[in-house]
Amino acid sequence: MKLPRIDGNTKVIVLGISGRAGRQHSRIMRDYGSNIVGGVSPRADVKDVDGVPVFADAVSAVRATGATACVALVGAMQLLDAIKDAVAAGIQLLVTPTEGMPVHDAVAALELTRAAGVLWIGASTPGMAVPGEAKLGFLPHDSLLPGPLGLMSKSGTLSYEAGYRLAQAGIGQSVWVGVGGDPVKGTRYADLVPFYQEDAHTEGLLIIGEIGGHEEEEFAQALIARKFDKPVFALIAGRSAPAGVTMGHAGALVHGSHGSFESKRAALNAAGVTVFASLGELVAGVKAGL
Amino acid sequence: MYLHEHDAKELLTRYGVPVPEGVCVCVGQALPDQLPQPGPWVVKGQISAGGRGKAGIIQTAATREDVERQTRAMLGRTVKGRRVERVRIERCVEGAAELYIGLLLDAETGGVRVILSARGGMDIETVPAAEIRSEVVRLDTIAIADCAARQAIGFDAAAAQALREACAQLAHAFVASELQLIEINPLFVRPDGSWLAGDAKVVADENALSRQPALEALVRTEAAQYVEAAVKLEHGFDYVVVDGDGEIGLLTTGAGLSMMLIDELRAQDLKPYNFLDVRTGGFRGDPARLINVLKWISAGPRVRILLVNIFAGITDLGEFSRLLVEAIRLVPEFRVPVVARLAGNGLAAAREIFLTAGIALHTDLDEAVAEVKRRLEAA
Repeated sequence: MKLPRIDGNTKVIVLGISGRAGRQHSRIMRDYGSNIVGGVSPRADVKDVDGVPVFADAVSAVRATGATACVALVGAMQLLDAIKDAVAAGIQLLVTPTEGMPVHDAVAALELTRAAGVLWIGASTPGMAVPGEAKLGFLPHDSLLPGPLGLMSKSGTLSYEAGYRLAQAGIGQSVWVGVGGDPVKGTRYADLVPFYQEDAHTEGLLIIGEIGGHEEEEFAQALIARKFDKPVFALIAGRSAPAGVTMGHAGALVHGSHGSFESKRAALNAAGVTVFASLGELVAGVKAGL
Repeated sequence: MYLHEHDAKELLTRYGVPVPEGVCVCVGQALPDQLPQPGPWVVKGQISAGGRGKAGIIQTAATREDVERQTRAMLGRTVKGRRVERVRIERCVEGAAELYIGLLLDAETGGVRVILSARGGMDIETVPAAEIRSEVVRLDTIAIADCAARQAIGFDAAAAQALREACAQLAHAFVASELQLIEINPLFVRPDGSWLAGDAKVVADENALSRQPALEALVRTEAAQYVEAAVKLEHGFDYVVVDGDGEIGLLTTGAGLSMMLIDELRAQDLKPYNFLDVRTGGFRGDPARLINVLKWISAGPRVRILLVNIFAGITDLGEFSRLLVEAIRLVPEFRVPVVARLAGNGLAAAREIFLTAGIALHTDLDEAVAEVKRRLEAA
């Protein structure tokens, strides 16, 4: 998968732009420098939102604007249809922050986006950003700072906190991608290892993970397979979570040793990754290790 | 959402999957006059966790008196951190081989992993990998059934027939009920190829409940058994009591940050009571969510302090703090002190509101945690 390096010229459309979140976040994304060129709304009475032209579907919006990137801010039960629309429109980069997408819908969306060669980030992603250029999604401006650290995260809030503390310590990000907390998703940590390996702006990589699933372990294997040669750091949440209970994110569920903190730490350590136990240690460790 | 065996079997029965005849008995209920006949029986404690046999909550019983005794011994016990509030009493299945079927949504590929073994039962973990057949196929009933038929070649005739039939039926349930996991272990297979699901582990998708009426009804009627799913369905956010003896109530937003905060508190020998992802974005100017959370946290018998942590790029902290102060006023049983850490927009307004309300406000999380610790030690 190839991650397009978005910038302030990348043309972006927002699906669900007339909704509460769509309206608010379109404005905030524009404030940050993102080039929102169009929106999509099912409401026939909405012609524009804050001056952004609104279309009936993504196919029409892309035809009129030439957009290549898309942020979908629609309800969980409408998300699969929105993804179908974006894929049909020929979008190259699709970011879907919506939480609560049914997992069988995510499977269908994954098949669709893969077949069409669309880079899908989400669902349940806080978004992505090239700090100082553009952002697609919710990443708070206080946490964004241009810099050398590649950042990938499952959780929004934990990455906001980590990004904020690192930024306060003077360490910014090259490209920040929230992969999201769902079990089945468009982009996994391992998928972007080649991108960060080759990205000249990235001098080190931080993943913010959590218990459940196998993604951190896959990431560790990808680092080894790719002979990743930049320093890699990790913070894993949920060390003390009870087994068998979903901790907010659908993917954050431990069965026996599967998906446990220890399994992840062992796999990451074996790949040469420094794993931190707390936010405080993370900031000091990244500063020392970069 | 990990279903109790009893509920999993009720669900699979709707798709025609045969299971041993059984009844469910809850805490405080008498045994039914008629047990499924004839015995012997097996009494199975219902919790959302595996390894029940080894934990001693699956017991055989030869007589009605045995059933009664086992049932009374199990109900109310705490196993793997969960209270046994229901048992399923089933007829024993005898003279059948024990096989294994697993259908598992494979997150990495977005397919379904079909797992078959001619040797199932309690010691499935010790069956050599070479004897377990496993393949990932598309999430599709026909693809799963075809895969099972392919993989069953080479098993003896009765086993192969049972695995083919069972997989085809389970595949239908898997797709139609939008499941993430079905594990049948053991799958009882008789010499004539007839079969029964001896146990059933099913993980359903909480995010699909609104279009899965049977599962939604289950969560509503058995809300006490599926507390987290019921809270999410009813209120639209996540709340989990992580330690009934916990001393620190948490009012937090964001799943990852809430988990991390629990880890960091525990690492300092502090005892958090709950996990919470309250989703401030869903408040819409109404303190209802906060009122619920404060009531639930007040139910923690040892909770002595509330730690608030909101790091929000979007949330207006002035509005949040106004709603929190209002919620505290409306929940008289909430009487513990509050230490808050807020970062984001509207901090100045929040500071003023909290000052008037006597709530300690920090902007640094580590400092807020340190104050919580100081206050607990001073008390």
